[in-house]
Amino acid sequence: MPLACSSTGRRVTAPRARLFATALIALGATPAVALAQWLGYPTPGIPRLASGAPDLKAPAPRTREGKPDFSGMWFANVPSKDNCKEKDCIQEERMAREQINLGIKMKSGLPYTEWSKEQMAQRRANGGREDPHTYCKPPNFPRAWTLPQYIRIVQTPGEMVMLHEFNAAYREVFLDGRPLPGNPNPTWNGYSTGHWEKDTLVIETNGIRDDMWLDIQGSPVTESARVTERLKRVNFGVMQVEIAVNDPKAYTRPWSVTIEMAIQVDSTMLEEICLDDEQDVKMYR
Amino acid sequence: MNATHMMQKPLARLLAIASTGLVLASAAWAHHSQSEFDFKLNVDVEGTITKLEWRSPHARLYVDAVNEKGEKVNWNFELPSPNTLMRRGWTRDSLKAGDHVKVNGARARNFTTIAYARVIKDHNGVALFTGTTKIYEPETGANTNNAVPAAIATYCLPFTA
Repeated sequence: MPLACSSTGRRVTAPRARLFATALIALGATPAVALAQWLGYPTPGIPRLASGAPDLKAPAPRTREGKPDFSGMWFANVPSKDNCKEKDCIQEERMAREQINLGIKMKSGLPYTEWSKEQMAQRRANGGREDPHTYCKPPNFPRAWTLPQYIRIVQTPGEMVMLHEFNAAYREVFLDGRPLPGNPNPTWNGYSTGHWEKDTLVIETNGIRDDMWLDIQGSPVTESARVTERLKRVNFGVMQVEIAVNDPKAYTRPWSVTIEMAIQVDSTMLEEICLDDEQDVKMYR
Repeated sequence: MNATHMMQKPLARLLAIASTGLVLASAAWAHHSQSEFDFKLNVDVEGTITKLEWRSPHARLYVDAVNEKGEKVNWNFELPSPNTLMRRGWTRDSLKAGDHVKVNGARARNFTTIAYARVIKDHNGVALFTGTTKIYEPETGANTNNAVPAAIATYCLPFTA
């Protein structure tokens, strides 16, 4: 079990953390006890070990129709790490490295066109201040997979809905066989349809905006892009999301990266409305 | 109460770790590049909390302190978003107005009393999760393709109770 800070900010040692977990499970048996925002409230209906901990290695759940069920809350599969010495403890924050550079695991990085390189040089020169995310614009997919907020997937036979904590946003993926729009009005999440290839859900998206960024370092994506996401639920605990981008204006060839997501249980969505108290934009000036 | 530019030893170690990355990357919780902060402008502030602002996209800790000129100033320390903090054990009552606190941070480039909080120690000297010491300096982008982020680190002191 990873180290955690207690409510007073103190590090909880592993045995103590286990005690804490046990206490939470006990709390689940007494729902009259109110937990803050349901943090720690046991998620019902999930596979658990005899200890009460979620069985992350359990088989991927399936829908009544026999398809893999991706429903649940997800976050990049980045475990908390710590480098504890006797007196100090450096605790790493969880974060997908792709949040900074979506092509970080590619040998030669993303295959930027000359146009893209110019865009990125300008963005670097400006300290990244034009990042739409800074201005509280929506958490556009596929970038949203890498952001430090939870995503909740709600899956029905005809539609998958992705809820995102940032700006309490949503994305619809239609599974009802409809075609992608022919001349779409560009939007932040574009237009998405999905179909099954065995146990993989293949999501095709077009109609995204020209001014979106794929990561903090400003990798571009344009209206000409066709994005394909391939979702595989490896087991109860893990989902792989392969993101393939075909955008001839921004990239010299189609490319793909895979982000691994981890199920988040015994927790809840916590909204993060960016415009509530945004104060950073003024500091860039 | 004072505000100094003395670097504490543990912090020095953190920064040493952070500097091993050629291109340093943003904080886990950040929704922006953080280039508005100058991570060379290290600030250590000891003072009295006037407010813990529990709002998105960043919680903010306001601290009254006295600067080098003996003037009272109210610092605005940027923290992770409340949802990130809550998942690390914070509540909106973890720090209260009137509490004594020590904060280390990186100052904003263009604002003398706004900073990014790296280390917060409450009145008992206990460190609270701040999310990160990550730094993002896009202008140093020697390799924009495969920048490897340095370790993201924050402080948690050992459990002492």
